[in-house]
Amino acid sequence: MGKEELKELLNKLPVATTEPVRPGLAEDIKRQIPQKLSPHRGGINTINIIIDFRINKLAAAAAIIITIIFCATFLGGRDSTGGSVLQDSMLLIKYLGAADASVISAGRSKYEHLLERGEDVVWYGDRLSPKDSNAVLMQRKLDDGMYEVMFIDGREKQVTTEELLQLLTRMLQKKAK
Amino acid sequence: MTVKKVNLTEQDFDLAHPINKLRELNEPKEHPEQRQNSLARRLRVSDHAAAVELVDIYYKQIYLFLRRLGHDRQASEDLTQESFLNAWHHISQLRDGKSLNGWLYRVAGNVSKLYWRKHKGKKTATLEGFDTPDTTNAQDDKVERNEQLEQLKNAVARLPIKLRQTIVLHYIQQLTIAESADAAGTREGTFKSRLNRALAALRKQVT
Repeated sequence: MGKEELKELLNKLPVATTEPVRPGLAEDIKRQIPQKLSPHRGGINTINIIIDFRINKLAAAAAIIITIIFCATFLGGRDSTGGSVLQDSMLLIKYLGAADASVISAGRSKYEHLLERGEDVVWYGDRLSPKDSNAVLMQRKLDDGMYEVMFIDGREKQVTTEELLQLLTRMLQKKAK
Repeated sequence: MTVKKVNLTEQDFDLAHPINKLRELNEPKEHPEQRQNSLARRLRVSDHAAAVELVDIYYKQIYLFLRRLGHDRQASEDLTQESFLNAWHHISQLRDGKSLNGWLYRVAGNVSKLYWRKHKGKKTATLEGFDTPDTTNAQDDKVERNEQLEQLKNAVARLPIKLRQTIVLHYIQQLTIAESADAAGTREGTFKSRLNRALAALRKQVT
Protein backbone atom coordinates (compact mmCIF):
# COMPACT_ATOMS: atom_id res chain seq x y z
CA MET A 1 0.00 0.00 0.00
CA GLY A 2 1.23 3.49 -0.85
CA LYS A 3 2.39 5.88 1.83
CA GLU A 4 -0.23 8.51 1.07
CA GLU A 5 -2.99 5.93 0.87
CA LEU A 6 -1.96 4.56 4.25
CA LYS A 7 -1.93 8.02 5.78
CA GLU A 8 -5.36 8.72 4.36
CA LEU A 9 -6.60 5.50 5.91
CA LEU A 10 -4.90 6.29 9.21
CA ASN A 11 -6.73 9.61 9.32
CA LYS A 12 -9.98 7.68 9.38
CA LEU A 13 -8.96 5.71 12.46
CA PRO A 14 -9.96 8.38 15.03
CA VAL A 15 -13.60 7.83 14.08
CA ALA A 16 -13.26 4.14 13.27
CA THR A 17 -11.80 3.39 16.71
CA THR A 18 -14.22 5.38 18.81
CA GLU A 19 -16.83 4.09 21.18
CA PRO A 20 -19.26 5.58 23.66
CA VAL A 21 -17.76 6.50 27.00
CA ARG A 22 -19.73 5.72 30.15
CA PRO A 23 -21.34 9.02 31.15
CA GLY A 24 -20.67 8.53 34.86
CA LEU A 25 -16.92 8.21 34.36
CA ALA A 26 -16.29 11.95 34.54
CA GLU A 27 -18.23 12.20 37.79
CA ASP A 28 -16.29 9.27 39.27
CA ILE A 29 -13.04 11.02 38.46
CA LYS A 30 -14.23 14.38 39.77
CA ARG A 31 -15.20 12.79 43.08
CA GLN A 32 -11.56 11.78 43.52
CA ILE A 33 -10.14 15.27 43.07
CA PRO A 34 -8.39 16.04 46.34
CA GLN A 35 -9.18 19.28 48.16
CA LYS A 36 -5.57 20.35 47.73
CA LEU A 37 -4.11 19.04 44.50
CA SER A 38 -0.45 18.68 45.35
CA PRO A 39 1.42 20.74 47.89
CA HIS A 40 4.97 21.42 46.80
CA ARG A 41 7.06 18.78 48.50
CA GLY A 42 10.69 19.62 47.96
CA GLY A 43 12.18 16.38 49.24
CA ILE A 44 9.77 14.04 47.52
CA ASN A 45 10.06 16.01 44.30
CA THR A 46 13.85 15.79 44.43
CA ILE A 47 13.62 12.02 44.79
CA ASN A 48 11.10 11.89 41.92
CA ILE A 49 13.36 13.98 39.71
CA ILE A 50 16.28 11.69 40.52
CA ILE A 51 14.16 8.64 39.70
CA ASP A 52 12.88 10.33 36.53
CA PHE A 53 16.41 11.00 35.35
CA ARG A 54 17.26 7.34 36.05
CA ILE A 55 20.39 8.19 37.98
CA ASN A 56 21.77 5.05 39.52
CA LYS A 57 21.26 4.19 43.15
CA LEU A 58 24.73 5.32 44.26
CA ALA A 59 24.42 8.72 42.60
CA ALA A 60 20.92 9.13 44.05
CA ALA A 61 22.24 8.31 47.53
CA ALA A 62 25.09 10.78 47.07
CA ALA A 63 22.65 13.51 46.02
CA ILE A 64 20.49 12.86 49.08
CA ILE A 65 23.52 12.85 51.38
CA ILE A 66 24.85 16.10 49.93
CA THR A 67 21.42 17.67 50.50
CA ILE A 68 21.39 16.46 54.12
CA ILE A 69 24.92 17.72 54.80
CA PHE A 70 24.15 21.01 53.07
CA CYS A 71 21.02 21.53 55.15
CA ALA A 72 22.71 20.48 58.39
CA THR A 73 25.61 22.85 57.77
CA PHE A 74 23.46 25.82 56.91
CA LEU A 75 20.96 25.29 59.68
CA GLY A 76 23.92 25.52 62.04
CA GLY A 77 23.04 22.52 64.13
CA ARG A 78 25.82 20.08 63.38
CA ASP A 79 29.36 20.01 62.20
CA SER A 80 29.21 18.33 58.83
CA THR A 81 32.47 16.48 59.35
CA GLY A 82 32.22 16.19 63.11
CA GLY A 83 30.76 12.73 63.28
CA SER A 84 27.01 12.32 63.52
CA VAL A 85 25.97 13.64 60.13
CA LEU A 86 28.80 11.74 58.47
CA GLN A 87 27.94 8.60 60.38
CA ASP A 88 24.26 8.90 59.46
CA SER A 89 25.27 9.38 55.85
CA MET A 90 27.42 6.27 55.89
CA LEU A 91 24.62 4.23 57.41
CA LEU A 92 22.33 5.58 54.71
CA ILE A 93 24.80 4.58 52.02
CA LYS A 94 24.98 1.10 53.52
CA TYR A 95 21.19 0.90 53.78
CA LEU A 96 20.83 1.83 50.14
CA GLY A 97 23.18 -0.97 49.25
CA ALA A 98 25.86 1.24 47.78
CA ALA A 99 29.42 0.06 47.59
CA ASP A 100 31.57 0.05 50.73
CA ALA A 101 34.10 1.97 48.72
CA SER A 102 31.88 5.00 49.30
CA VAL A 103 32.30 4.58 53.06
CA ILE A 104 36.06 4.51 52.64
CA SER A 105 36.06 7.64 50.50
CA ALA A 106 33.79 9.44 52.96
CA GLY A 107 36.12 8.39 55.81
CA ARG A 108 39.06 9.62 53.78
CA SER A 109 37.45 13.06 53.47
CA LYS A 110 37.03 13.19 57.23
CA TYR A 111 40.65 12.10 57.75
CA GLU A 112 41.93 14.85 55.45
CA HIS A 113 39.76 17.41 57.18
CA LEU A 114 41.05 16.38 60.62
CA LEU A 115 44.62 16.39 59.33
CA GLU A 116 44.20 19.94 58.08
CA ARG A 117 42.97 20.93 61.52
CA GLY A 118 46.22 19.54 62.91
CA GLU A 119 44.70 16.57 64.74
CA ASP A 120 46.74 13.46 65.51
CA VAL A 121 45.16 10.98 63.07
CA VAL A 122 46.34 7.79 61.36
CA TRP A 123 44.71 6.43 58.20
CA TYR A 124 44.60 2.65 57.50
CA GLY A 125 42.07 2.74 54.65
CA ASP A 126 44.60 2.25 51.84
CA ARG A 127 45.40 -1.30 52.93
CA LEU A 128 41.93 -2.52 53.85
CA SER A 129 39.44 -4.77 52.20
CA PRO A 130 35.87 -3.41 52.39
CA LYS A 131 34.63 -6.92 53.26
CA ASP A 132 36.18 -6.87 56.75
CA SER A 133 33.52 -5.13 58.85
CA ASN A 134 35.69 -4.90 62.01
CA ALA A 135 38.70 -3.35 60.29
CA VAL A 136 39.86 0.01 61.65
CA LEU A 137 39.71 2.69 59.00
CA MET A 138 41.18 5.52 61.00
CA GLN A 139 42.35 6.40 64.50
CA ARG A 140 42.34 9.78 66.11
CA LYS A 141 44.04 10.67 69.39
CA LEU A 142 41.81 12.57 71.80
CA ASP A 143 42.93 15.13 74.40
CA ASP A 144 42.29 12.79 77.36
CA GLY A 145 44.67 10.13 76.01
CA MET A 146 41.90 7.95 74.58
CA TYR A 147 41.58 7.10 70.89
CA GLU A 148 38.58 7.48 68.66
CA VAL A 149 38.51 4.76 66.02
CA MET A 150 36.37 4.63 62.93
CA PHE A 151 35.53 1.18 61.57
CA ILE A 152 35.07 0.40 57.92
CA ASP A 153 31.30 0.04 58.36
CA GLY A 154 31.06 3.64 59.57
CA ARG A 155 30.83 2.91 63.32
CA GLU A 156 32.87 5.07 65.69
CA LYS A 157 34.08 4.07 69.14
CA GLN A 158 36.32 5.53 71.84
CA VAL A 159 38.96 3.06 73.03
CA THR A 160 41.96 2.99 75.33
CA THR A 161 45.51 2.49 74.05
CA GLU A 162 45.36 -1.23 74.95
CA GLU A 163 42.07 -1.75 73.17
CA LEU A 164 43.41 0.02 70.10
CA LEU A 165 46.46 -2.22 70.08
CA GLN A 166 44.23 -5.29 70.30
CA LEU A 167 42.09 -4.07 67.41
CA LEU A 168 45.11 -3.35 65.23
CA THR A 169 46.77 -6.67 66.10
CA ARG A 170 43.57 -8.56 65.25
CA MET A 171 43.38 -6.67 61.97
CA LEU A 172 46.99 -7.53 61.08
CA GLN A 173 46.48 -11.19 62.01
CA LYS A 174 43.44 -11.40 59.70
CA LYS A 175 45.43 -9.80 56.93
CA ALA A 176 48.33 -12.23 57.44
CA LYS A 177 45.93 -15.19 57.01
CA MET B 1 -22.74 37.73 21.85
CA THR B 2 -24.60 35.10 19.87
CA VAL B 3 -23.68 31.51 20.40
CA LYS B 4 -23.83 29.18 17.46
CA LYS B 5 -25.88 26.10 18.31
CA VAL B 6 -25.04 22.79 16.75
CA ASN B 7 -27.39 19.84 16.86
CA LEU B 8 -25.73 16.59 17.70
CA THR B 9 -27.14 13.12 17.89
CA GLU B 10 -26.64 11.17 21.10
CA GLN B 11 -24.13 8.93 19.39
CA ASP B 12 -22.08 11.86 18.15
CA PHE B 13 -22.12 13.27 21.65
CA ASP B 14 -20.11 10.33 22.84
CA LEU B 15 -17.25 10.96 20.47
CA ALA B 16 -14.22 12.70 21.89
CA HIS B 17 -13.37 14.65 18.78
CA PRO B 18 -16.76 16.07 17.84
CA ILE B 19 -17.32 17.24 21.39
CA ASN B 20 -14.11 19.17 21.34
CA LYS B 21 -15.14 20.72 18.04
CA LEU B 22 -18.47 21.69 19.62
CA ARG B 23 -16.67 23.31 22.55
CA GLU B 24 -14.57 25.33 20.16
CA LEU B 25 -17.70 26.57 18.41
CA ASN B 26 -19.67 27.40 21.53
CA GLU B 27 -17.03 28.98 23.65
CA PRO B 28 -15.86 32.56 23.41
CA LYS B 29 -12.85 32.80 21.14
CA GLU B 30 -9.80 32.49 23.34
CA HIS B 31 -6.47 31.49 21.91
CA PRO B 32 -6.03 27.75 22.70
CA GLU B 33 -2.52 28.37 23.96
CA GLN B 34 -3.74 31.13 26.29
CA ARG B 35 -6.49 28.86 27.53
CA GLN B 36 -4.09 26.00 28.20
CA ASN B 37 -1.63 28.34 29.93
CA SER B 38 -4.35 29.69 32.15
CA LEU B 39 -5.55 26.16 32.95
CA ALA B 40 -2.02 24.99 33.74
CA ARG B 41 -1.40 28.03 35.95
CA ARG B 42 -4.63 27.43 37.86
CA LEU B 43 -3.81 23.75 38.25
CA ARG B 44 -0.41 24.55 39.69
CA VAL B 45 -1.97 26.73 42.39
CA SER B 46 -4.33 23.88 43.25
CA ASP B 47 -7.51 25.40 41.84
CA HIS B 48 -10.28 22.83 42.26
CA ALA B 49 -12.36 24.29 39.41
CA ALA B 50 -9.39 23.93 37.07
CA ALA B 51 -9.15 20.25 38.01
CA VAL B 52 -12.84 19.79 37.16
CA GLU B 53 -12.25 21.57 33.84
CA LEU B 54 -9.30 19.31 33.09
CA VAL B 55 -11.47 16.23 33.65
CA ASP B 56 -14.22 17.62 31.41
CA ILE B 57 -11.79 18.35 28.60
CA TYR B 58 -9.69 15.22 28.73
CA TYR B 59 -11.48 12.27 30.28
CA LYS B 60 -12.89 10.93 27.00
CA GLN B 61 -9.63 11.45 25.17
CA ILE B 62 -7.68 9.62 27.88
CA TYR B 63 -10.22 6.78 28.05
CA LEU B 64 -10.10 6.31 24.27
CA PHE B 65 -6.31 6.59 24.27
CA LEU B 66 -6.14 3.71 26.74
CA ARG B 67 -8.70 1.71 24.75
CA ARG B 68 -6.66 2.28 21.60
CA LEU B 69 -3.57 1.05 23.40
CA GLY B 70 -5.40 -2.25 23.75
CA HIS B 71 -6.96 -2.20 27.23
CA ASP B 72 -10.47 -3.55 27.66
CA ARG B 73 -13.36 -1.29 28.71
CA GLN B 74 -13.13 -1.97 32.45
CA ALA B 75 -9.35 -1.64 32.57
CA SER B 76 -9.52 1.56 30.52
CA GLU B 77 -12.00 3.11 32.94
CA ASP B 78 -9.88 2.13 35.93
CA LEU B 79 -6.71 3.36 34.26
CA THR B 80 -8.35 6.65 33.27
CA GLN B 81 -9.22 7.26 36.90
CA GLU B 82 -5.71 6.25 37.94
CA SER B 83 -4.20 8.60 35.36
CA PHE B 84 -6.09 11.57 36.75
CA LEU B 85 -5.19 10.55 40.31
CA ASN B 86 -1.54 10.46 39.31
CA ALA B 87 -1.94 13.79 37.55
CA TRP B 88 -3.27 15.41 40.76
CA HIS B 89 -0.33 14.02 42.71
CA HIS B 90 2.27 15.18 40.22
CA ILE B 91 0.73 18.50 39.31
CA SER B 92 3.91 20.30 40.38
CA GLN B 93 5.72 18.67 37.44
CA LEU B 94 3.44 20.47 34.99
CA ARG B 95 5.51 23.20 33.38
CA ASP B 96 3.14 25.34 31.31
CA GLY B 97 0.05 25.18 29.17
CA LYS B 98 2.04 24.22 26.11
CA SER B 99 3.06 20.96 27.71
CA LEU B 100 -0.36 20.17 29.23
CA ASN B 101 -1.43 17.79 26.46
CA GLY B 102 1.85 15.89 26.35
CA TRP B 103 2.11 15.75 30.13
CA LEU B 104 -1.36 14.27 30.67
CA TYR B 105 -0.87 11.71 27.91
CA ARG B 106 2.52 10.81 29.37
CA VAL B 107 0.92 10.19 32.77
CA ALA B 108 -1.71 7.97 31.10
CA GLY B 109 0.95 6.23 29.01
CA ASN B 110 2.97 5.44 32.12
CA VAL B 111 -0.10 4.08 33.90
CA SER B 112 -0.74 1.87 30.88
CA LYS B 113 2.88 0.71 30.78
CA LEU B 114 2.76 -0.30 34.46
CA TYR B 115 -0.49 -2.17 33.83
CA TRP B 116 1.03 -4.20 30.99
CA ARG B 117 4.07 -4.92 33.14
CA LYS B 118 1.82 -6.26 35.90
CA HIS B 119 -0.37 -8.24 33.50
CA LYS B 120 2.18 -9.82 31.21
CA GLY B 121 0.60 -12.11 28.67
CA LYS B 122 -2.81 -10.44 28.78
CA LYS B 123 -4.26 -10.12 25.29
CA THR B 124 -5.00 -6.70 23.85
CA ALA B 125 -8.63 -5.83 23.38
CA THR B 126 -10.09 -4.31 20.23
CA LEU B 127 -12.54 -1.49 19.88
CA GLU B 128 -15.86 -2.30 18.34
CA GLY B 129 -15.97 1.11 16.65
CA PHE B 130 -18.54 2.74 14.44
CA ASP B 131 -19.11 2.66 10.73
CA THR B 132 -16.67 4.91 9.01
CA PRO B 133 -18.32 7.84 7.28
CA ASP B 134 -17.62 7.40 3.60
CA THR B 135 -18.19 9.99 0.93
CA THR B 136 -18.06 7.57 -1.99
CA ASN B 137 -21.33 6.21 -3.31
CA ALA B 138 -20.04 3.03 -4.87
CA GLN B 139 -20.92 0.09 -2.62
CA ASP B 140 -17.90 -1.97 -3.73
CA ASP B 141 -15.48 0.84 -2.90
CA LYS B 142 -17.05 1.22 0.49
CA VAL B 143 -16.78 -2.49 1.26
CA GLU B 144 -13.15 -2.57 0.13
CA ARG B 145 -12.35 0.55 2.15
CA ASN B 146 -13.95 -0.91 5.26
CA GLU B 147 -11.98 -4.11 4.81
CA GLN B 148 -8.77 -2.12 4.56
CA LEU B 149 -9.74 -0.15 7.63
CA GLU B 150 -10.40 -3.36 9.51
CA GLN B 151 -7.01 -4.73 8.37
CA LEU B 152 -5.37 -1.51 9.50
CA LYS B 153 -7.01 -1.63 12.94
CA ASN B 154 -5.80 -5.20 13.40
CA ALA B 155 -2.34 -4.34 12.13
CA VAL B 156 -2.09 -1.41 14.58
CA ALA B 157 -3.21 -3.72 17.40
CA ARG B 158 -0.46 -6.20 16.47
CA LEU B 159 2.34 -3.61 16.52
CA PRO B 160 4.81 -3.71 19.41
CA ILE B 161 3.64 -1.40 22.18
CA LYS B 162 6.12 1.42 21.49
CA LEU B 163 5.27 1.56 17.79
CA ARG B 164 1.56 1.22 18.48
CA GLN B 165 1.80 4.14 20.90
CA THR B 166 3.34 6.39 18.23
CA ILE B 167 0.52 5.66 15.77
CA VAL B 168 -2.13 6.11 18.44
CA LEU B 169 -0.68 9.39 19.70
CA HIS B 170 -0.02 11.04 16.37
CA TYR B 171 -2.65 9.69 13.99
CA ILE B 172 -5.50 8.64 16.24
CA GLN B 173 -5.26 11.08 19.17
CA GLN B 174 -4.07 13.67 16.63
CA LEU B 175 -1.34 15.19 18.77
CA THR B 176 1.44 17.13 17.08
CA ILE B 177 4.86 15.50 16.74
CA ALA B 178 6.19 17.61 19.62
CA GLU B 179 3.26 16.74 21.89
CA SER B 180 3.40 13.08 20.91
CA ALA B 181 7.13 12.91 21.60
CA ASP B 182 6.55 14.56 24.97
CA ALA B 183 3.75 12.10 25.70
CA ALA B 184 5.94 9.15 24.74
CA GLY B 185 8.79 10.54 26.86
CA THR B 186 11.21 10.61 23.93
CA ARG B 187 12.94 13.20 21.81
CA GLU B 188 11.27 14.32 18.62
CA GLY B 189 13.91 12.59 16.48
CA THR B 190 13.38 9.28 18.25
CA PHE B 191 9.64 9.65 17.94
CA LYS B 192 9.83 10.36 14.20
CA SER B 193 12.06 7.36 13.67
CA ARG B 194 9.61 5.12 15.58
CA LEU B 195 6.75 6.57 13.56
CA ASN B 196 8.53 5.71 10.31
CA ARG B 197 9.16 2.17 11.53
CA ALA B 198 5.52 1.83 12.51
CA LEU B 199 4.34 3.13 9.11
CA ALA B 200 6.67 0.76 7.29
CA ALA B 201 5.33 -2.16 9.32
CA LEU B 202 1.73 -1.14 8.60
CA ARG B 203 2.37 -0.74 4.87
CA LYS B 204 3.60 -4.31 4.74
CA GLN B 205 0.56 -5.64 6.55
CA VAL B 206 -2.25 -3.69 4.89
CA THR B 207 -2.91 -4.51 1.26
